[in-house]
Amino acid sequence: MAASVWKRCVTAAVKVKCLSPSFSARRWLLSAAYTDTKVWEAREKDPQNLAVLATTMDRTYDRNLPVSSLTVSRFVDNISSREEVDQAEYYLYKFRHSPNCWYLRDWTIHSWIRQCLKYGAREKALHTLKNKVQYGIFPDDFTFNLFIDSYIKDGDFKSACSVVEEVMLQEAFDLPTTQILSLYALGSFLATRPQLSVSEERALGASLLICGLKQDNTVGLSAQLLGNALLGKVEMLKGIHAVFKGMPLFWSHGYLGRALAVMERVAAASGDVKLSKDTLDYINGLLQELSSTSDSDSSGEESAGEEEKKEDIVDEDDQAEQAKLPQYVSRFKELSSQLESQDKLDPASFQALVTTLAQQNLAAAEKPDLEQYKSRVQAWESENRQLIQREKEMREKAEQEKQERLAARAAAQQV
Amino acid sequence: MVKKKRLRLIAEMARKIRAYRELKSRPRESQKYALDYETMKRPHTGKMLPVLAWQDVRRESRLFSLLAGMRLFGVGRLFTRKSWLEDHTEPSYWQITKVKVDYTAENMDHGRAWGILTHKGKQESEVKEVDKVMYHDWRLIPKHMEHQIKDFKPLPEPPVRYVPYPPLLRAMLLAQYKKTVGSVIAEEPALPLKRDVLLNKDYFRKQEQETRRTEGTAV
Repeated sequence: MAASVWKRCVTAAVKVKCLSPSFSARRWLLSAAYTDTKVWEAREKDPQNLAVLATTMDRTYDRNLPVSSLTVSRFVDNISSREEVDQAEYYLYKFRHSPNCWYLRDWTIHSWIRQCLKYGAREKALHTLKNKVQYGIFPDDFTFNLFIDSYIKDGDFKSACSVVEEVMLQEAFDLPTTQILSLYALGSFLATRPQLSVSEERALGASLLICGLKQDNTVGLSAQLLGNALLGKVEMLKGIHAVFKGMPLFWSHGYLGRALAVMERVAAASGDVKLSKDTLDYINGLLQELSSTSDSDSSGEESAGEEEKKEDIVDEDDQAEQAKLPQYVSRFKELSSQLESQDKLDPASFQALVTTLAQQNLAAAEKPDLEQYKSRVQAWESENRQLIQREKEMREKAEQEKQERLAARAAAQQV
Repeated sequence: MVKKKRLRLIAEMARKIRAYRELKSRPRESQKYALDYETMKRPHTGKMLPVLAWQDVRRESRLFSLLAGMRLFGVGRLFTRKSWLEDHTEPSYWQITKVKVDYTAENMDHGRAWGILTHKGKQESEVKEVDKVMYHDWRLIPKHMEHQIKDFKPLPEPPVRYVPYPPLLRAMLLAQYKKTVGSVIAEEPALPLKRDVLLNKDYFRKQEQETRRTEGTAV
């Protein structure tokens, strides 16, 4: 009781804050300590000439020999201008298509994203991230947080959502900071009520579902519900294969059924968990849309003879799903009225809920992240030093062998 | 007297060079398993895929198409095959431990992988090479479903049933036992309905050696 009163007060306060965005609109979420580059800059520098590194790499590639990951990491570390970012992109591509592609280091990827953000090449970083198959960019969670945050700072929620989609494809929603940031980005994007294509809906639905599964509160369950509903819509329109191909999603039919199961769970649960009202409104609109399209489809189907042959590939399971749509609509109405009667509908919008969650939890969640990051940087530095040591030793050994060979040849010639 | 064979050194060298060149020009995985999705033909051999596989080839993906987009090429993740999902109710999956990707492929789409197979709920003990990697049949098991798949406990196998021998064979067995040992056999000989013997070349060779050892010479 007291908790719900407190929550309503907080949401009211948040609503007041949202009304005056020009004053205290805290447009970025991560604290200054998190985005500080001090720890990263405090690493020991390894100044190298980029042109020399580039020529060495070109020669090694020409001779079909493998390029070491150390060379690539040195190249990325020593970027100092925007043009060099483009050159580094080319060398990352070449490294990925070489035998050593598995050994691309974590710190190289982190340094690449940081350099791109520093020199204003964010679209380039996003492009390499989207084509991660070709460039091999698989950032760790800290790097993802920084990247999403930089987009949230500028209010570019669409790109923030594309980064969240990449996080979803990596299934990297482990840290609470990442979860909060992604939910914030997704919520803000949805609040702008954009016009979504089917593939965008699928990506959004998947990100909402996988991120929401990690959180067990109102925000998480609303996200799960919305994600399931969006995926169910794609399933109805295009079939189950279009839903899970290329995405880490489960292949069984009935995503709308799972969405309704979430609602049932909330209705049956005894705790303070609620569902956001505007999510339910959104899903209502979605179901209406689906029913109207399916009605128009079934009326106009007899004329489209050719298309029916293609629709045969939409096999019986998908057709069974489509037949269940009116059932889903009626059950949804039942469940939403049940939730309303149980007072389990939160009037605040999804975005407002996420903002409150962020303000409550983010500061606490950041601290262990920062410590882990510091220890990680230390580990990377020691590995870097090991690699440099190993390279020096190998060079010395090669030199020694060359000297011996020359001496042997000179001795043989003299004799 | 046989005429002495001429030492054809150059032919020998040519043979070695030809073998070396053949070794070097082996087609890479990306070339061998490349597929033209319109005509369903492999450009390397010109052969067409079987018709029943066409729908799968259009809808599903190869293992490495999934691995290419994953961190560390999906080492430690679980993968199922759609044909296993359809055939068995018990879950079967591979857990990938080692990956060797073919870097000449444009989308890092081909290669070889090694892992631990769990077939129908029974996990094997050693790492084996994943076969049928290039089949368009593979599905990733998402992390939130992993525990559901892994928690499966297979039913214990029913105990091996025994059946009495046919009467003539039983009489022969009892007679042989009496001849070798002397006393009458105490318990009834029973025929197990399941033999765990893998009938391959090694088994038959061993059997032959055994009989040769026991029987001595043929005559």
